[in-house]
Amino acid sequence: MTPTQPTLDDKTSDASMSRRNFLRGAAAFGGLTALAASLAPLRQLEDFSSSEQFLQKYYKELTPDDMTKVISRIEREVQKEYGIRPHVRDLKPMDGVEFVYCLNLTRCIGCRKCVHACVNENNQSRNPEIQYIRVLKMPHGSMDVEKGDHTYEAKSVPEKGFFYMPVQCQQCQNPPCVKVCPVNATWQEKDGITVIDYDWCIGCRYCEAACPYWARRFNFTKPEIPKERLNPNMAYLGNRPRKQGVMEKCHFCIQRTRAGKYPACLEVCPVGARKFGNILDPESEVSYIMREKRVFIQLKEEMGTSPRFFYYFDK
Amino acid sequence: MSNNTVTQYWLGALTVVFLGLGGFFIVNSAARPATGKKIPLVDVKFLDRTASRRTYADLVKANEDLSDYDCYGCHEKGKPPPIRYDANHKIIVPKEHSDVVMGHGSHDRNNLCYNCHNEQNLLTLQVRDGREVGFDNIPQLCGSCHGPNLRDWEAGAHGRTSGYWNHSLGAADRLSCANCHNPHAPRIPTRESAPPPHSLHGPAGHTAPHETTP
Repeated sequence: MTPTQPTLDDKTSDASMSRRNFLRGAAAFGGLTALAASLAPLRQLEDFSSSEQFLQKYYKELTPDDMTKVISRIEREVQKEYGIRPHVRDLKPMDGVEFVYCLNLTRCIGCRKCVHACVNENNQSRNPEIQYIRVLKMPHGSMDVEKGDHTYEAKSVPEKGFFYMPVQCQQCQNPPCVKVCPVNATWQEKDGITVIDYDWCIGCRYCEAACPYWARRFNFTKPEIPKERLNPNMAYLGNRPRKQGVMEKCHFCIQRTRAGKYPACLEVCPVGARKFGNILDPESEVSYIMREKRVFIQLKEEMGTSPRFFYYFDK
Repeated sequence: MSNNTVTQYWLGALTVVFLGLGGFFIVNSAARPATGKKIPLVDVKFLDRTASRRTYADLVKANEDLSDYDCYGCHEKGKPPPIRYDANHKIIVPKEHSDVVMGHGSHDRNNLCYNCHNEQNLLTLQVRDGREVGFDNIPQLCGSCHGPNLRDWEAGAHGRTSGYWNHSLGAADRLSCANCHNPHAPRIPTRESAPPPHSLHGPAGHTAPHETTP
């Protein structure tokens, strides 16, 4: 027997070095590492990148001071991402104004310029493509949208035997999308525009399912907007860049119309088929159209949504 | 084999599984769901919001060359140019005016120059009742035949508008008849349609069956 034998025995029986404890430690370390790694994709969710945005209050509870801070945060974020200093405003509805849109089906030639003017004005994602307006090519003699085709491509429009019906958010007086929103991230303002707070939306897409007009769009991926096409004139409830996982839709170009201007789709229409204005003003062109023209349909009238978007005919 | 050994093997195996899962998540998080195809940016010609035509009034406003309207540079004053017809009783457009397309109305009966041009003074236009109107005041002339359109235009329901709907904040810019219609061939020409929506999957113009209606 050597004198060293007892020392070796002592070492093997040392609690801190036992095989069991080693494996325990390794398993705990490995488990925690795996947990951290499995949470890594969360880092890519922009929601958590800005604690300011994460802690932001509900739009209707924001004080003017809060709003100033929110707007400067958005301006900072846009500048960081696109290198352009935007002009973000929180435009409120005007008193005595209720917006109505009228679209002349006799005039529309289906050129789709409104679709792209809208994308350009409202900073929609270019890839994947998000568009607020669908132009339906419909055979003459039918108002059945089931017969519409929105994927037509033509060297020469209008094509013989068809008329064209652009469909976008109808700004319903009785909006089903607002009713289903579980977090009140979308609501109807007093000038008739149904708006979305992109910072409050949880992306459940209930509103998309509830809308009978297929007017709402979801950002499945991070929107891609080329710098040179970014519109720096922005509104909080309007065309500020959205993030992944939120809904968006036509808001009658809130950044333009609440500043007194016409929407972008109206200005670009080469045939003047689109008319927009304040229905509470009897002198406005929309009031004239409602009085004098064959205002033929509110789309899917039977749904009881009572759209503020009217289709009419000239003759 | 004692219970302790079994537990140790399980723990070892679990560690390997967790590490493996962790590695998988790290690798996977880098691979974003790719859309798989490039969507070209829309041609800027489809974003153009200027008027399709320029009128006499636009040229005056922009201080541009008005020599096209200097009729008496070639014509003689007090001598109305005669109108010549071919065998089918169609007007022969003189080669000096070869840019004029005679296409006003779906038949040829409306194609008389002096329906609108003033034969006594070529620098002005005339309404059929004898009123003389300038090239910068054509809505009154066009409206003398197209009454309902003039009424709609005056109310803002016909024609293109831009600027402000709220007149207390700014002016609306109303386009005039000839900004869109060529007076000699007023029907709006057909044009190429802007590109259709690209779907997330598959080529442009192809969508899943449930996506065909709004």
